Amino acid sequence: MNLILAVILRLAVWLLLAPLLPGIINKVKAWVAGRRGPPVLQLYYDLAKLWRKGVVLSTLASPGFIAGPAVAWVALLGAAMLMPLGPGGTALSFRGDVLLLIYLLALARFCTAWAAMETGSAFEGMGAAREVSYAVLAEAAIVTAVLSLSVQTGSVSLVTMLSPSAGAGAVLLAAGLFTVLLAENCRVPFDDPNTHLELTMIHEVMVLDHSGPPLAAILHGASVKLLLFAVLLIQAVLPLGALSAPAAAGALVAGVLAVTVGVGLVESWLARLAFRRVPLLLTTAFLLCLFALLVAWKGGAK
Amino acid sequence: MSGGTLNLFIGLAMGLNLLALGSSRLPSLIRAVSLQGVLLGVMPLLLEHDTFDWRVVLVALATMVGKGLVIPGLLRRAMRAANVEREMAPFISYVPSLLLGAGGTIAAVALARGLPLLPEHAGTLLVPGAIASMLTGFILLIGRAKAISQVCGYLILENGIYLFGLLLIHSTPLLVESGILLDVTVGVFVIGIIVDRIQRAFDSLDTRKLTTLRE
Amino acid sequence: MPGPLLLFAFAALVTGIVVGVRMSRLWLALTVAGTTAGFGAALMVLLGAADWEWRSGFSLGDELVHLRLDGVSALFLALLCVVGGAGAVYAREYWPEKHYPASAPRGRVWWSALVLSMGLVLTVSNGLHFLIVWELFAICAFFLITLDRQRREVRAAGWLYLAASHAGTMALFAFFSLLAARTGSWDLPGPMRERADLSSLFWLVLAGFGVKAGVFPLHIWLPSAHANAPSHVSAIMSGVAIKMGIYGIVRFSGWLPVPAAAGWVVIGLGATSALLGIAFAFAQNDFKRLLAYCSVENIGIILVGLGAALLALTHGDAVWGRLALAGALLHVWSHGAFKALLFFGAGSVLHATGTREMSRLGGLWRTMPWTAGLFALGSLAVSGLPPLNGFVSEWLVYLGLFDAVTSKGPSAWAALPAAIMLAMAGAMAMASFAKASAMIFLGAPRTQAAAHAHECGMGMRAPMLMLAGVCVGIGLAPILFWPAIRRAAGSWCPGWGAEETPAPLVALGSVHVALAVLILAAAAWLWRKAHTNGLRRGMTWDCGYATPYARMQYVSASFAGIVSGWFRWILQPERKIRRPRGHFPEEALRLERVPETVLERIIGPVSAAIMRVSTTVRQLQHGRLQFYILYVVAGLIALGVLVLLGGAP
Repeated sequence: MNLILAVILRLAVWLLLAPLLPGIINKVKAWVAGRRGPPVLQLYYDLAKLWRKGVVLSTLASPGFIAGPAVAWVALLGAAMLMPLGPGGTALSFRGDVLLLIYLLALARFCTAWAAMETGSAFEGMGAAREVSYAVLAEAAIVTAVLSLSVQTGSVSLVTMLSPSAGAGAVLLAAGLFTVLLAENCRVPFDDPNTHLELTMIHEVMVLDHSGPPLAAILHGASVKLLLFAVLLIQAVLPLGALSAPAAAGALVAGVLAVTVGVGLVESWLARLAFRRVPLLLTTAFLLCLFALLVAWKGGAK
Repeated sequence: MSGGTLNLFIGLAMGLNLLALGSSRLPSLIRAVSLQGVLLGVMPLLLEHDTFDWRVVLVALATMVGKGLVIPGLLRRAMRAANVEREMAPFISYVPSLLLGAGGTIAAVALARGLPLLPEHAGTLLVPGAIASMLTGFILLIGRAKAISQVCGYLILENGIYLFGLLLIHSTPLLVESGILLDVTVGVFVIGIIVDRIQRAFDSLDTRKLTTLRE
Repeated sequence: MPGPLLLFAFAALVTGIVVGVRMSRLWLALTVAGTTAGFGAALMVLLGAADWEWRSGFSLGDELVHLRLDGVSALFLALLCVVGGAGAVYAREYWPEKHYPASAPRGRVWWSALVLSMGLVLTVSNGLHFLIVWELFAICAFFLITLDRQRREVRAAGWLYLAASHAGTMALFAFFSLLAARTGSWDLPGPMRERADLSSLFWLVLAGFGVKAGVFPLHIWLPSAHANAPSHVSAIMSGVAIKMGIYGIVRFSGWLPVPAAAGWVVIGLGATSALLGIAFAFAQNDFKRLLAYCSVENIGIILVGLGAALLALTHGDAVWGRLALAGALLHVWSHGAFKALLFFGAGSVLHATGTREMSRLGGLWRTMPWTAGLFALGSLAVSGLPPLNGFVSEWLVYLGLFDAVTSKGPSAWAALPAAIMLAMAGAMAMASFAKASAMIFLGAPRTQAAAHAHECGMGMRAPMLMLAGVCVGIGLAPILFWPAIRRAAGSWCPGWGAEETPAPLVALGSVHVALAVLILAAAAWLWRKAHTNGLRRGMTWDCGYATPYARMQYVSASFAGIVSGWFRWILQPERKIRRPRGHFPEEALRLERVPETVLERIIGPVSAAIMRVSTTVRQLQHGRLQFYILYVVAGLIALGVLVLLGGAP
């Protein structure tokens, strides 16, 4: 009974808090640009509106066009449920759950790409091609980051491996994971969520043809993914385990907010990279994680 | 205490190596080189000294000014004079050179463990940093087409030699280092003049065009 | 009790060879019965405790016939029987008498012979007999690949296969003769790990079986053979036949001592095969070649697991080695199931449209919903995505590698790059299969052939459904399959079979079940919600472009463009581009072909050079007797000079 309650509570946290993040990012961007900007809760309004709207389906699309976003959304929420929440621990933990998490993200990516290809639009094909291609390098970086956490703690399970040590390794890992966060969530400098030129988009162009509840599922899933990466980044870098429970919870929330504001600031100050430069940046993220791994290795050997 | 700080500085210098390998714009390459020069200038002060030695401070200051300000300034001027901003078509493109540099850095760290070093140097990153910088310099010298990038590569190579020199800071007079610094300055002047000549003669800084002079 | 079942399977398959030409129904019944019996025997060995062994009094080539079925061979036998039976059912509709009056009967005979010879490869326990049945297996496969021998490229693929296969067999001849010479008998008595003098023979094993398995630089025969064979043959070739190479490596690395470097080499070869195999797969436009290169990737994953197990064996860290080995062995099953499924699906598309080029397909889901759905399931499985079987086995391999890294021993330096390369290969597999299923089944039909496709009948759908069931089964209930894997691991290294079901595997299985239920529920919910809100059909929006055209869609080369750019150094694509010119361009063209680099850029030129040298040298042989005498005299003088110079003390 307790388990069910814990799962429901956790699910509620992820479901309800995730759409806050894009709102904060937009507010930060507006603030830097000296505008008032949309309300922080804008995504909630959008989701509620989309959920009630009808669906326009391309004549070419199969039922997979609607199933794809549903599967992706379940996969992202499943990944979120595996992620421990600071002092709250996790609902379910087993050895190797971190690999399941990575592959659930891959499942979500497959389904989004599948749904994009359904329409036969060249734009969406382009977006899907970019998404799956850049994921190759991002995946290498994530696995390296996970390996470095694993080396640090000698564990392959998320609950125990997210107890990092401070030092040079943490800085490198933070930089690497932050870059991966930007890439995986299609933020500047990899992709510009606010651009109006479809030729330069990745994620947004993949969902051009979606509407109504499936689009709501996609947008909500994207916000869950952003929150997931922020939580992962904070827990991989800040030693929350050493703090008392309330302090750790506070630190987690503050950290996630800081990451979100950071994303907003990056988006305000940087321009989107040319696509041919993206692999270079992702390689840099991979190398940062790799050096974090080597530092962790050396630190443990002493 | 200062050993940790020294390692941090060397680590940063190694990071700058990778930055230099990954940057396509010449200004950021020059900035990386100048920052590395400043970092290297601070290092003699961080090495443990029993007594205060004014010569060490002098060399530190000279290095900082020379490597951090004068040479980069000259390079910037050459860049502006030649009107180039970007390395267009490198022989080894950025991702491979970055991976090569990272592989070289890891190999340098692994290799340095096998070298017979004095116990006081065993814990520091001086030797791996030196090897990695020299490797980076070579990659830049081999992989880039523009003369200014090659000068930067040469400077990073020299920085590696300087790091090796720091190992001997107690036993050898700092004159050696000053000599090297002088060499480099002269070298940069000469190259600056050549760059200017190349630019005037060929209307470009691409060293590939020099192959027509091989006869 | 496995004995009678195996005897029955043998008898049924032999009768199948005899009656296959005329009586296709009886042949089908016999093949299905035979493979079922063989599967039963394999299951009995896997779930029981004792190996099955039979030393007969008959002799063949002066050697007594000695058969054995232990955990390792039973694991492969079970896969063989499943795919062998399914393929026989599939072939009846896919390669019917009506369309192929000449080759269909031949196909039936060779099919039975192939299944039988592979079964014998798995059971014989004598070096000489192994070579005989191995050769038989190679020849059966050759005749099946060249069933459609009117086509030139099919014949070329067949000859290439035969040549490569024999190059591998040569290494095996050397291996078995040396083994026989050193042990004094052709008989393979079982584990001989204490004979340290035999360890160097492992390199011959790796080379000989590596060719058959399609390990990266030795894979040259694989893409063309798998692409040009009829699809049911591609399925058994890719699902089972290349696993015979893996069987050989697993078998003899388990029985014989291995050199200390073996683990490093195997894990290195595996990681390279995985990454480069899938890079080639992603760049292909021919979907059967894509599947073939993907087999190279999966062989790589299996070898990474096996290599980690070998490292564990040499360094004495058994715990993570067991996980990696279990992952490798389970991946043998997983890959067999989903790759056969995918090749069956590919065959169904080929059957309906007559083309293997993805750029000529598209939109097939409308006419072929079953094939589309099953191919999508296979794509999810092969990409290693939860909750299907590919993920379970890859997860076990990953766990082994992660544990090896955290142990920080010397083997960590092999496991670390292998884990990273495996992750990249996994992401690229996902990309490749997103591309394949999207290009074939989604969007608008790019040609008339694609627009007028038709769904396959029940005869082809049933085997696919069965294999899809295996994929889902391993994914959702991995614990059911664990005893078999444990048994096989125990036969590979005694003491490694004692492992109880690992608790994480139980957890993973239940998470998978929950995930599957939730996925179905969410999809159904969203579908219903969309319908209650009101569903309207309209043209693809495409940023308001009013007259979309099927050839505007992204094609396979454009989809793979980014990644094939990164791998240009090895893919070496050949491009032919005619850019549009002027304000009203008349025509433009862009052709791209990814050659088989190792074959066409390395082996081809080298053999051409050898041929040139040989032709030059051949001019010495012109038939004039006087000159021959001159050669003899010159040779004698040269010898004399050599003796005078070198022989002086």
